[in-house]
Amino acid sequence: MKHFVVMTGLTVLLTSTALAETSAKRIALSNNYAGNSWRQAMLQSWETITKPAVEAGIVAAADAFTTAENQATEQAAQIQNMILEGYDAIVVNAASPTALNGAVKEACDAGITVVSFDGIVTEPCAWRIAVDFKQMGKDQLTYLAEKLPEGGKLLEIRGLAGVFVDDEISAGIHEGVAENPQFEIVGSVHGDWAQDVAQKAVAGILPSLPEDIVGVVTQGGDGYGAAQAFAAAGRDMPLIIMGNRQDELAWWKEQKDANGYETMSVSIAPGVSTLAFWVAQQILDGQDVPKELVVPFLRIDQDGLEASLETTPAGGVANVEYSLEDAQAVIAAAK
Amino acid sequence: MTSLRTLFAKPWIWSFLAAAGVWLVTIVFTGGASAAGLSQAALTFAAFSIIVGIGQMFVITLGPGNVDLSIPATMTLAGTVALKIMDSSNGLILMGLLVTLLIGLAIGIINYALIKLLRIPPIIATLSSSFIIQSAAISYNRGLRIKPPSALAEFTTATTLGIPNLAYLALAVSVAAWVALEKGIYGRWVSAVGQNMRAARMAGVPVDGVRAATYLLCAVLAALAGLLLSCFSGGAALNMGAEYLLTSIAVVVIGGTAVAGGFANVPGIWGASLFLFLVVSMLNTYGAAAGIRLLLTGTIIIAVIIAASRRPRT
Repeated sequence: MKHFVVMTGLTVLLTSTALAETSAKRIALSNNYAGNSWRQAMLQSWETITKPAVEAGIVAAADAFTTAENQATEQAAQIQNMILEGYDAIVVNAASPTALNGAVKEACDAGITVVSFDGIVTEPCAWRIAVDFKQMGKDQLTYLAEKLPEGGKLLEIRGLAGVFVDDEISAGIHEGVAENPQFEIVGSVHGDWAQDVAQKAVAGILPSLPEDIVGVVTQGGDGYGAAQAFAAAGRDMPLIIMGNRQDELAWWKEQKDANGYETMSVSIAPGVSTLAFWVAQQILDGQDVPKELVVPFLRIDQDGLEASLETTPAGGVANVEYSLEDAQAVIAAAK
Repeated sequence: MTSLRTLFAKPWIWSFLAAAGVWLVTIVFTGGASAAGLSQAALTFAAFSIIVGIGQMFVITLGPGNVDLSIPATMTLAGTVALKIMDSSNGLILMGLLVTLLIGLAIGIINYALIKLLRIPPIIATLSSSFIIQSAAISYNRGLRIKPPSALAEFTTATTLGIPNLAYLALAVSVAAWVALEKGIYGRWVSAVGQNMRAARMAGVPVDGVRAATYLLCAVLAALAGLLLSCFSGGAALNMGAEYLLTSIAVVVIGGTAVAGGFANVPGIWGASLFLFLVVSMLNTYGAAAGIRLLLTGTIIIAVIIAASRRPRT
C-alpha cells in the first residue's frame, strides 16, 4: 500500500514536471488550404483540443494559420514568419513534400521543432506523421474480394492528377487488383476529390462502359458524386467505396434502409491535426520520438454506420480527436 | 459553295466541328450504343459552362484586361447561402432565387466599385474580391451540405422530351444574350467599348454604365449557375465552383470571341462547352493516362483556337 502511494506520488511528480517543461512553449499550425469540409473539420478539431490544452497550461499557445492560395511559396513565407515570431514548434500540413524543405530547414536550424502531417515534408530534420495511402487503396480491394468473391469490372475514381497522394492510392488499388485478378478496372476518371467533379467525370464515361460494373474504387470525397451519376444514368448501383464524408454516409444509410446496400468507408480523420499537436508537445517535452510515424485509418463498416453518421456533422467528415495517450500509443508503435 | 465558305468563315463553326468530331470518336468506342447517354450528359454539364461562359464573354468583350475571376467564389457563395435559406423546403424556392439574384448583384457592384472607384485593374479587383467572397461562404456555414428543395433538385436533374431541363435554361439565357448582343443597343455598346473605349465615349456611349452593367450581369449569371449546380449535385460544397474559373474563360476563347475584346460570339460558347466536356469523356473512354489526357486536351484546344482565329481575308 505504502509502495503504491509512493508510486502515485512519483507519477504525479513526473507528470507535473512534464507540464512544467512545455508550459512556456508556443506551437503554431501552418496549414496550406481551408477550402473543403475535411480541412474545415481539421481546423475545428485543432481548436477543440488545443484550447483546453492552452487553458490547462500544457502549452502557452497553439495558434492556427492558413494560407490563402494553397501555394508552396506562400506557405514557405508563412513558416519564415513563424520563425521570426519565435514559436518553439511548427506543426505543418504542407502544400508540397519538397518545396517547403528550405523553410523547414531554416526552422530546424533556429532550434524549432517541425512536425509535418497529412501533407508531409521530406526534409530529414522534420518529423513526419504520414498516411499509408497505398494501404488505403489496397484495403479497398481486400474488402471487395471478400464481398464479391466472383470478381467483376471496376470503375476507378482518382484524385487530383499530378498529386502524390493520388499516385499512391491508385498504386495501392492497382496492386490490389494484381493480387485479386478476378477484378478488372475498365475505366478510370479523375474526380479531384470533389463530389461535383466526380459526378461530371463519371457521367461522361458511363455511357461508354459495360453495363455490368460491380464496384467503384475511390479516394474519398467522390463517392456521393459517383452514386448520383449512376442514378442519373439509370444504372444498377454498384458497390461504391465511400470516404467518410457525411453526404456519402447519409446516402449509404438511405440505400441501406431501402434495399440493404452494403459497402465500407475509409479515410483519415481530420483530427489527425490534434495527433500532430500532441506529438509536437511530446517532442518539446523531451521525449524520444521517432521521426517517422504512421496515422491510423478511420474505417466505417456496415455495423458502425449509424453510430458514425450520428456523430458526423451535416456537411462534415467522420472524425476523431486524438488525446495525449493516443499520441503516446502511436509513438510507442513506431519505436 | 459560297454558302459553305461563309459557314467556314464563322468563328464559332470550329468549336462545333471539334465537339462533333470528339463526340463521334467517343461513341465509336461502343459502336454507337452510348450516343444517347453521352449526348444527354454532355448537354447537362455543358449548361453550367454556357451560363457562366456567357457572363464571362460579355466581360471579356469589354476590352483588354477585362476578366472576371470571382466566378467560382460567386457560385460557391450563392449556392451555399441560397440552399441554407431555402432549407430544403419547396415553399422557399422563390426566396432562394431572390437571394441568389441579390448576391449576384451585390458582388457585381463590389467588383465594379473596386475597378472604378479604386482604379484597380479588373484581374486584381475580381481576384481579391473572390477571396472575400470565398471567406464569406466559409464563415457562413463552414461547408455545411444542405439538401436542395425537392422540386428544384427534380427540375435540375430531369429531362423534357429527352433533353435535360438545364439545357433549355441555358438555351433561354443564350437566346436572350444573342438578342441583346446582335439586335439590342446594349450589345452594340459593349462591342463599341471593347473596340475603342475613347471613341465609344466620344460617340456618346455611356461607357461606365455599360461596364458596370456587364460586371453585374456576369456576377448574376455566375450566382444562378452556382444555385443550379448545387441543386443538381445535391448540395453546395466549398470547392464546387473551382473548375469554372478556367472553363469560363476557355469556352469564351474557343468559341471564337476575340480575347482582345470588341467581338463577342454566343453560338461558339455552346460548341466550346460541349467540346470541353466531350474531350475529357473521350480521353477517359479510351483510357488515356492523366498526363497524356492533359497534354491532348491542351493540344486540341490550341488547334481549335488557331483554326477559329484565322479570319478570312475579305
